[in-house]
Amino acid sequence: MAAPLDVFPPSADATLDGALAGVSRKDIEGRSLGQIAWMRLRRDKVAMVGGVVVVLLILIAVVGPHLVQNPDTYNANLINPTFSRPNGPFGGISLAHPLGVEPVTGRDMLSRIVNGAQVSLLIAFLATALAVGIGVFMGVIAGYFGGWVDSVIARSMDVFLAFPLLVFAIALVGVIPSAAFGLSGNALRIGILVFVIGFFNWPYMGRIIRGQTLSLREREFVDAARSIGGRGPYILSRELLPNLVAPILVYSTLLIPTNILFEAALSYLGVGIIPPTPSWGGMLSEAVQNGYYSIDPMYMIIPGVAIFITVVAFNLFGDGLRDALDPRSSR
Amino acid sequence: MRRRRTIGLAAFGAAAALLLAACGGSSGSGSGSSSSSGSSTYGAAITSVVNPSTHKGGTLTFGNSSTPDSTDPGNTYYDYMWNFTRLYTMPLMTYKSCPGSCGLQVVPDLATGPGVVSDNGLTWTYHIQPNVKFEDGTTVTSEDVKYAVERTFDRSLFPLGPGYFPLLLAPQKPAYPGPYTDRAKNLMGLNAVQTPNPTTIVFHLAAPFADFNYVAAIPQTAPVPPAKDTGANYQLHPISTGPYKFQSYQLNKQLTLVPNTFWNPATDPNAKQLVSKVVMTMNMNANDIDNRLLAGDLDVDATGTGVQAAARAKILSSSSLKASSDDPIAGFTWFAALNTTVPPLNNLNCRMAIEYAANKTNYQTAYGGPVAGGAIATTLAPPNVVGQKAFDLYDALSKPNGDDAKAKAALKACGQPNGFTVGITYRSDRPKETAAAQALQASLAQVGIKASLHGFPTGTYDSNFAGVPKYESQHDLGISFYGWAADWPDGYGFFYYLVDGKAISPAGNTNLSMLNDPKVNSLLDQMASTNNATTRNSFTSQIDMQVMKDAAVLPGVYAKSLLYRSPNLTNVNVQDYYGMYNYAVLGVK
Repeated sequence: MAAPLDVFPPSADATLDGALAGVSRKDIEGRSLGQIAWMRLRRDKVAMVGGVVVVLLILIAVVGPHLVQNPDTYNANLINPTFSRPNGPFGGISLAHPLGVEPVTGRDMLSRIVNGAQVSLLIAFLATALAVGIGVFMGVIAGYFGGWVDSVIARSMDVFLAFPLLVFAIALVGVIPSAAFGLSGNALRIGILVFVIGFFNWPYMGRIIRGQTLSLREREFVDAARSIGGRGPYILSRELLPNLVAPILVYSTLLIPTNILFEAALSYLGVGIIPPTPSWGGMLSEAVQNGYYSIDPMYMIIPGVAIFITVVAFNLFGDGLRDALDPRSSR
Repeated sequence: MRRRRTIGLAAFGAAAALLLAACGGSSGSGSGSSSSSGSSTYGAAITSVVNPSTHKGGTLTFGNSSTPDSTDPGNTYYDYMWNFTRLYTMPLMTYKSCPGSCGLQVVPDLATGPGVVSDNGLTWTYHIQPNVKFEDGTTVTSEDVKYAVERTFDRSLFPLGPGYFPLLLAPQKPAYPGPYTDRAKNLMGLNAVQTPNPTTIVFHLAAPFADFNYVAAIPQTAPVPPAKDTGANYQLHPISTGPYKFQSYQLNKQLTLVPNTFWNPATDPNAKQLVSKVVMTMNMNANDIDNRLLAGDLDVDATGTGVQAAARAKILSSSSLKASSDDPIAGFTWFAALNTTVPPLNNLNCRMAIEYAANKTNYQTAYGGPVAGGAIATTLAPPNVVGQKAFDLYDALSKPNGDDAKAKAALKACGQPNGFTVGITYRSDRPKETAAAQALQASLAQVGIKASLHGFPTGTYDSNFAGVPKYESQHDLGISFYGWAADWPDGYGFFYYLVDGKAISPAGNTNLSMLNDPKVNSLLDQMASTNNATTRNSFTSQIDMQVMKDAAVLPGVYAKSLLYRSPNLTNVNVQDYYGMYNYAVLGVK
């Protein structure tokens, strides 16, 4: 019997290579977190479908308005004026108007939906960015410094969570004049909506980040960083934040559909985008409050389905992303 | 007045009736009692009384999409409120409660007969019935009527009602400021109105005015007891002389009326006291009102301008629902006033650009198309104002979708070749008006005019927003959606408060065009002083033509209103004067 060391003769590489012949170097390289996550995500079919839809929606929102007809063009000839409803079944679907037309005005539904997508997604993304920005900042500060800073921030999170967002939005829109802060019209209204939705949603992100920070700051690598002289800002930005990317990403993606629904709700209540600019919530509002749903059900169904698809897609993708990025979940 | 109806021929008849009345003949003898019909067919209430009945009891419910401009009979200018105030007031004269053209006759109410004219038309004497009582049992005297008239002189406290009395009565020096400022002579300081005895009231006019009986039919002549007048708060509980009295009024929420035990039906044949409670609920959603009407949970849509689009579709496509509806010509014009003092609309060519650019078909569709909305209007006065003639200065009929080429040419002529920005006001609780405003915004955008929309509730539209010239000019609100019907069935009653420069007022303004054209003013002055009916009526079309030449308004449609007649109602008839159901005679099953 050879000595144990003899098992690994000097030409270990050659033997190993021989043993592992056919297996490339790359195959056994360690995988980064991103690669692992992507693999797990790829295996989750439902989340992939959600992701594809999300990408499509973003494409539609960005490029769509240039491809469809003018959403403000009235087509009175397509409307039966006595009944105020579109001629033809399903809300006047035709080649020229694949999703039909609106009652009373005859405006093309497809172009209004596409332009509404732009508005809804723009507000949702901006509001999410604002909420995430504030939430991450506050959450990290609260989690890392602890003590009275943490108490103050945590209590303020409670206050903001308790705030009736819809009521406040209605009040704010009523109080702010039609031109303020150098903006007017729809630009100002979008600003108000983004501010209200984003500013009152930061506790959602703040709590999660605070929790993560609290657990992360006890870890060895933070101690190690401190021992080599790292101070607060260094640790926060170089050690903690990179490890928070995963939850930030996941919960941002899950926050977007909530904000889309908030914007739709505010438009429904009449404090959304100013007409004639289309928005999904505004179309729903007109369909229900003016009773058009009984004349032309498609006018209510189409924006409702659009909101539904958007929210479900973002939610599925976000769920899948969370499952993929969370190292503890077993799939 | 906002929304009312006049029939050409009947107005001649009314003028004739006035002459007869002045000679002592009865003015109510026209068509006698209207034909009554128990059957319910489409439009039955326009020509007959549907469900005639003497059944007493029940609650009559009204739904209002906003709030009344005021329940004070001295301070309201909405057609439906002049209708509704008949439930708790008895003005000197009123309109005969009957369907068809019969309902345009002005007949005595509190008065015993039409005014007796003397002194070359400068003096009008009315005798009032001796035993009419207020809701507290006190007897109505001529001083109560004089006091009611005096209140209308205080235009700062009561800016909303018409100001015919300060306009027509003989002036005094210093000008009479109203009984809240002039407390002299037991609050009877208005010299132009005399009360020689408790049942006689004498009006001294500044100049002869043949239509004065119509002025006496305005709710402002309903008696007000000075001892119980609470000024601006009188609207919370006006002291009733009509069949019902106020039980409770939560401002902006709900008004409840109960029978007035001191009302004597023999003194007031044009009203009925059938129900045990009348309730008006405010600030209801317009479509909700329609749904409740159709479901039977509500009896009347108070504002009476017709159902909204969804209910219209339901009604017109169901033969049973259609049989319970009426589509009367409402007697008014829906239009958008172009403010001649808000730049750049102070330039005639800029206003003409709007006239050409507007898409009249979309305006009409917003109101329900030709059947339920009305014919496209080309003049300010609707066809049923006496003396109205049709003409079309801006090709509304030949080019109903607008004429962008002419609009752009007009824009160039006014120095705004790339268009301009302007604000549009409209009443946001009225879906049809909202849709019309949006349609106008879209059609103006096609020629580069960027219009922004500003919606306000009907209840404060005149007192705080569109009716306040300063507000409009401060916020660049150049286009204001409105509707107007004649205060009484002739051209003067239609035009004066709409286009005369003297009618412009700092609050409750109805001349939303801020028009002060000397030509129009002089035509109206001539009209007022002309006694010959034919000559007087010839001024109507001249005024109309000058107003349209000034492009002071963008006419929309000659209104039709599709009204749903709840099967729960009894004694329903369309009162031509109001263009909606007569509220003073309704009962419930």
